[in-house]
Amino acid sequence: MADKAVSEEASMDGQAPKPTSIPVTDNTVWADASPLLDAACIGLRYGELIHGDNFNLFAAMSALEIMDPKMDSGIVCRYYSIDEAIENGAAPVPISLDSTIDVQCTIDIMDHLLACEAAWHKGHSLAQTVFSCIYLLRLDRTASHALLHSYGRVIRATCKAVLSVVSDARTHEEEDLFTMTYGLPLNGDGDEKCLSMLNAVEETISRQLRACKATSSKRRVSEDLEPLQYNPNLEEGFCKALLCRLRFRKHFFHVLTCMKRPQGRGLELARKHIASCISELEFILKSAEFLQSCSGESCEDDIDDKTTASGREPIGFDASLNSRLSAPTPPRAIKILSWKKAVEYFVKLLHDLDVICSYSLDPHLENLLRFVVQFQKSQPDLVARSHLQLLLVQDGKLYGRDPIFAVITKAAALPEATKNHDIQKNESILQLGQCYYILQLVMNLLKILCTNAAWQRRKLGKILQDWRVIYLQLELALRNEFGEVSSSSNDENICMKIFQHILIWVEEQTYWIACRFLMLGFELELYSASEYCMVYWYSYAVLIKLAEKTHLKMAVSYDTAKRKGKKKRDSPKDLVRESRIPPAVLFLQCYICLAEGLTMMLAALRNEFMILQSPSPFNTEQEKFVQHFELLQRACIPDHASYLSFKESTTHARFSTLVMYNYFKDAQRIAKEVKSSFSNDPDRLAELRKLEQVAEHNSVALNLICRLGALDPSLKVSFEFSHHPFFATAVVRRS
Amino acid sequence: MEASSEEKAEFEEAEIKYVSYEGEHHLPLIMSLVDQELKQAFHKGKCVGTVVCKMGEHRNTFRGYIAMLVVIKPYRGRGIATELVTRSIRMMMESDYEEVTLEAEVTNKGALALYGHLGFIRAKRLFHYYLNGVDVFRLKLLFPRQELHYSVPVMTNRDEVMNMLIWIALEECSGLPYSEERMSC
Repeated sequence: MADKAVSEEASMDGQAPKPTSIPVTDNTVWADASPLLDAACIGLRYGELIHGDNFNLFAAMSALEIMDPKMDSGIVCRYYSIDEAIENGAAPVPISLDSTIDVQCTIDIMDHLLACEAAWHKGHSLAQTVFSCIYLLRLDRTASHALLHSYGRVIRATCKAVLSVVSDARTHEEEDLFTMTYGLPLNGDGDEKCLSMLNAVEETISRQLRACKATSSKRRVSEDLEPLQYNPNLEEGFCKALLCRLRFRKHFFHVLTCMKRPQGRGLELARKHIASCISELEFILKSAEFLQSCSGESCEDDIDDKTTASGREPIGFDASLNSRLSAPTPPRAIKILSWKKAVEYFVKLLHDLDVICSYSLDPHLENLLRFVVQFQKSQPDLVARSHLQLLLVQDGKLYGRDPIFAVITKAAALPEATKNHDIQKNESILQLGQCYYILQLVMNLLKILCTNAAWQRRKLGKILQDWRVIYLQLELALRNEFGEVSSSSNDENICMKIFQHILIWVEEQTYWIACRFLMLGFELELYSASEYCMVYWYSYAVLIKLAEKTHLKMAVSYDTAKRKGKKKRDSPKDLVRESRIPPAVLFLQCYICLAEGLTMMLAALRNEFMILQSPSPFNTEQEKFVQHFELLQRACIPDHASYLSFKESTTHARFSTLVMYNYFKDAQRIAKEVKSSFSNDPDRLAELRKLEQVAEHNSVALNLICRLGALDPSLKVSFEFSHHPFFATAVVRRS
Repeated sequence: MEASSEEKAEFEEAEIKYVSYEGEHHLPLIMSLVDQELKQAFHKGKCVGTVVCKMGEHRNTFRGYIAMLVVIKPYRGRGIATELVTRSIRMMMESDYEEVTLEAEVTNKGALALYGHLGFIRAKRLFHYYLNGVDVFRLKLLFPRQELHYSVPVMTNRDEVMNMLIWIALEECSGLPYSEERMSC
């Protein structure tokens, strides 16, 4: 028996039994199961799974761990531990006894680390990217190599800083590989001083650069400076190549530190460091030529795919080492970005961060929402988006500075005088729970708007119900508290006003979210051309409500200001202002005209020419309608927007009538009219120009189809987003 | 008979037979397809395509899921994939399932067109779903709502794991008829 053999062996040898972490008790004894397992292995054939009374097929399938080196013996690694790799010379310190090669290899390591860092930012795990560097896994070993050591420390500190930003933002659901750090040595003692170490090295190399320049001009040189490497012809090139890399790291770390300062206090300084980073990246790119020329290797065609400027493979990297140490892999083969692409990535990241740092921290919610939507158009990556989110919502305040409730009252267009005094006095009207809930909704909305478009759309759809619920609760409370409108005490009147304002604002905000939800569908390419008609129809219905609520909010605000005694009597100017539609509403009306125009044009195309239909054997247009607008319908946004009403609105669309009442012409007119009101807003001006183009092209197409469509069967109509990401332009071609 | 992967195979519609998965003896056919090996499987017929589906309950909805669809290269573009998927969906519909779903890469124009024509919409986009950084669409087909009746979906072989549905497209070899057993679904 196996166990007997073991105990006998132990006593015969006179040696202590093998050390175990689980002590042997009276009822247990260690037994060697190896022979049993060997026999089982021989008995099992390929494709067979163990099957027992308490171990069925499901259990057996669940037990399989493919590609995890700890569980899958089929996975073969070169080294089975970091120590083994080091013992076999995978990460020598110094890298080479030849100082020139040592410097070259150090630069290669720096470049490859940059590429790894970019790959990590793009969505892979730290273990397979930055921490595939053996030097980083045992950084203490590099203490004698100042360059490598200081660079490693800064990388480690940088990764830690970036990681904490993304973790704090906590909206990286689909990008969850980013924050995995199991078993990785991210915390280094003294890493806070990494910059001073880096500065010291930078200083040394700067002096060396000055010295070798002085030498070349035959001036006297200091005796105590040791050259970087032994070839004096290459000294200047190497010094420059190293300096820009060190400086980039220094400035990048400063960017992160500055942006982390509360209430956006460090943003201006961050911009300076961002500018320095970008200029150092340019120097880094320029250094490639020199590094390639002295690498001694022939110029290869696929230099663009390499992860280093020199084109050489870096020493000291092995991604498979971590697969044994970190959960919850199995690791998939990933591709590290090329060095060129990595630099491009960082340039983009820095530009995105710069946009954030230039933001004026506008206390007006509607301006903030517009800024975030605009920012997202450049498709910023996770790191940039996380920074934005942390800037916007800190300590339950906007920018860590403005209480959210103050932001809401401003957004609800409550007159200045109403705010602090009355609300504090009448805190009870908005029952504490509802108050708190609204704050949470707003903070949640801001966070959601900073996430990637795909995730964002799903979340926006889900919160529609929450916003609707709070609206209904407030409406009920308003009715219960105030019943009919009476001219009772001034205080009660003010309460009611506050209530009204907030109610209107909540509704406006809800429709804004619904609008964003629908528009994101175009950005994400969720709609097929045969579905555009219903989407534009639904958007039209939502936009009408949004415009209505926005207008109402402004009208009520003006009215409230009047009642507070700000306006003694209605001057002619006041009457004109009252009847004039605010520019923000006109902007929405432009949207409405385009949406209606597109709905009808698409409907007419279907009705008259039978195109853009998609008959399916398994379901009808109704099911598609229900699916696309399910979340909106559930929240009754808007009321009475059903498939039936969609059909009713569009069944009779004909080109002959559309040409007579041309919605696109209306859109053009409004866009022209409202431009002057936005002369200080370059983003909106730019969009108005695009809207004009959409209106113009569609109007022309409409007329063309009306005149020629029935006569010329070779005409093909397609819809492209060539001018505006949401409003399509009809393109008429001859096939 | 092996077809070179470069040539398009010549065949007539009637030469493709569709059979439902019958048991483990079909597994090697499916595995060989996935391995992209053109081994002649069994005595009659060459497996040229397969679809693997799952049917079950998900959050109170009876939902079908299309896990895998493959047709070997020389036989593509002839509607075999459409037929495989159509048969599966029809079976789900007849079993009173409410919807069918699957994921498809955003770059897979062929799959998106195929499912689009069958009535699927792109319900969601999932960011970087696959580790190569590609997004996917979650495609969903909603069946028209039937009159409310309290029938239970018909399930065959209720397995503790899931209800699998597999269709295989077999190409007839010339001159060899199919047995009745083979053709039954």
